[in-house]
Amino acid sequence: MKKFTLVCLALVLVPLMAFAQGQSDTAAKESGPVTLTIWGRDIPDTAADHIYVHDLIEGFQKANPDIKLEYIPLGDPGLADKTKITMAAGVDQLPEIVQSWGGSVMGGYADAGRLLDLTSELASIPGSKAASDAMSWKGKTYGVAPFFAVAGIFLNEDIFARNGLKAPTTIVEMEAVCDTLLAKGIQPFACGAKDKWPALAMYMYLVNRYGGNAFDRAQARTLSFADDAFVNAAKTYQMWVKKGYFGTKPLGEAYGDAQQQMAIGKAAMMVTGSWMCSQFSNKEFTDQKIGFYAFPVVTGGVGKVTDVMGMTDIGFFATKNAEAKKDAVVRFFKYAMSVEACASEPGRICAVPGVPAKAELTGMASKVFAASQSVQFWWDQDLPPAVTSPLNDTIQSFFLPNSDVASSLKAFEELVIDEMGPVKK
Amino acid sequence: MVQSIQIFDPIKTKKTAKRNRAIFVSLCIFPSLLFLVMFMYYPIVETFRLSFMKSSGLGQDRFIGLDNYRKLFVSEEFRAGLVHVLTWAFWSIVIQLPLAFFIAFSLTFYVNRVSKPMRAIYYMANIMPSAITAMLGKFVFSPNNGILNNLGNQFGWDWLSNMDFLGSERLAFWSVFAVATWAYTGFPIIYLMARIEQMPKEFKEAAELDGVTGWKYAWYILLPNLVYPLRILAVLCTIGSLKLFDLPYMMTTGGPGHATVTLGISLYRQGFINWQYGRASAIGVIIFLLSLIFTIIQFSGKKEAA
Repeated sequence: MKKFTLVCLALVLVPLMAFAQGQSDTAAKESGPVTLTIWGRDIPDTAADHIYVHDLIEGFQKANPDIKLEYIPLGDPGLADKTKITMAAGVDQLPEIVQSWGGSVMGGYADAGRLLDLTSELASIPGSKAASDAMSWKGKTYGVAPFFAVAGIFLNEDIFARNGLKAPTTIVEMEAVCDTLLAKGIQPFACGAKDKWPALAMYMYLVNRYGGNAFDRAQARTLSFADDAFVNAAKTYQMWVKKGYFGTKPLGEAYGDAQQQMAIGKAAMMVTGSWMCSQFSNKEFTDQKIGFYAFPVVTGGVGKVTDVMGMTDIGFFATKNAEAKKDAVVRFFKYAMSVEACASEPGRICAVPGVPAKAELTGMASKVFAASQSVQFWWDQDLPPAVTSPLNDTIQSFFLPNSDVASSLKAFEELVIDEMGPVKK
Repeated sequence: MVQSIQIFDPIKTKKTAKRNRAIFVSLCIFPSLLFLVMFMYYPIVETFRLSFMKSSGLGQDRFIGLDNYRKLFVSEEFRAGLVHVLTWAFWSIVIQLPLAFFIAFSLTFYVNRVSKPMRAIYYMANIMPSAITAMLGKFVFSPNNGILNNLGNQFGWDWLSNMDFLGSERLAFWSVFAVATWAYTGFPIIYLMARIEQMPKEFKEAAELDGVTGWKYAWYILLPNLVYPLRILAVLCTIGSLKLFDLPYMMTTGGPGHATVTLGISLYRQGFINWQYGRASAIGVIIFLLSLIFTIIQFSGKKEAA
């Protein structure tokens, strides 16, 4: 009988002791220096596009020995997926800091009470307004964005010079450039439409150039997403696809393929974000001379050349789990926004004043950003998550030669009505 | 002074032993039962509950009845996904199983120096992680530097080099399916080979005496005896197709348009990208119910065979 009781006790106590051991481990961990866990996208190595994160972690540790950083690189879409699941589970399992593009996704977390309001603590940090706005939601600031990206045209200067072409300033000029390039057997645009989201950059600009602030109005539900500005932009886009401006297999090519087409000089232009500056400036990646220009205007259209599309390039927000470590988090954010931390970045546009552009290409992109009078946040970062993936599906459908763009936009508008309400009259 | 005398009671002792055994067994079962309830039954019940809710996974859920299901059935993406998984299941049965039978028979009937390594080669695709299978698929079908594209360029076959295997609505589904056929036929081959090798040798000897050899033996003797294993494989193919996610997602992310979207891809997008947990759960419920129906078919088939 005694033996039996002992066995039963062991069955119950062993798991309990293991649990208690886990708890005491956690307690022991918490008694040391303050530890900040950061979920990031990139591996913190010394590759050109990761060097900032690498130097940020190392530099901060050196300057702040009392704070221990645990940086966990989760990749893409790993970071987004894990953050989403953990946010849904509550606050306890969250890290203190998460790398993010801000916008509506961050806004969703803020609305659910998962983020730490740092409005007053971060107010004194100097930086571009667009970048600061990107990490704010409903008037509250939850993080920082040391780097901001703008969309524009990456253009192969060598190809243009060889063919006596100039960077287009109007859509008519751009079509003429494309026709000339096609006649010479050069693909005018690289896109990467297989991945869907890369096709958005050009469409955002076309809608703006045709209809000005049409997107703002559609988002505020005073205009339909099936309005003329959206339909005309889509028709132009589809016409260009049919003409072969994006090559013969645009839907088979991913974003990586598009980068390669630019790198080897197969395509002459690419409309995308300035995050590509470091790669296109890297001589190991491409031997082509590439420039960056603002998107042309439609003659007689509403949008201006100074209307620019942009989004956070590298940003971080703090979670509610960091409440007890607020000081450490603020110190980290201030360091992330320092000239010292940002100096190592070779290609991105820095939102911090006093950080010069290292690459000529970044300088060109910075000029476009500096000249901008309005910055429209990337649509798929600005709209509610429920409609962003259907938005990218809709835009990809413009690449299907037989699709009816007006019907596709109408279907998208119906979904928007469902999620964001009907157009207010 | 009263002295207590312990009397041996065999009935009581037996009862105690029985009770102790019951407690011991319960304690042993408890952890696995807890595990099952926490990680299997609770998520299933929760998925059913969520499918009737408007839920972003953050904040309060709202009961909306069957609205998630209604919206799914009017959604082009979901309908495309449903049609694709059923088409996939149909062609898996029509193409993969006869192919598997053909190869399994060849490898068991014609045993020589080549057939042994061939068994490993055929099965190798099946044990490779899906990510590698997808990469190899892309390596073959890539639009600009894929093997087929290069082959077309090499021989001046424009019809081949101009084909956009993964970017054309017409071809993408079949390109992914071709890779899947290569990757997934390994299991039915091994399964059928095992069943063929288990069959009594007398079958073959008797057939040979009657002059039934080679493919006649396969058709008239083996096939009728493999009806039940083939039926199980057909059910597994169907359930596998309903849950299909990895290969099409990694090769085409469901595109172009909705050309290669599956119920699994649709579920992932609704849940993780669109933040529509309720709708994603509704897709999960539909996959679960369809799988259940096919499993019931499998069991009824078993009864019939018995």
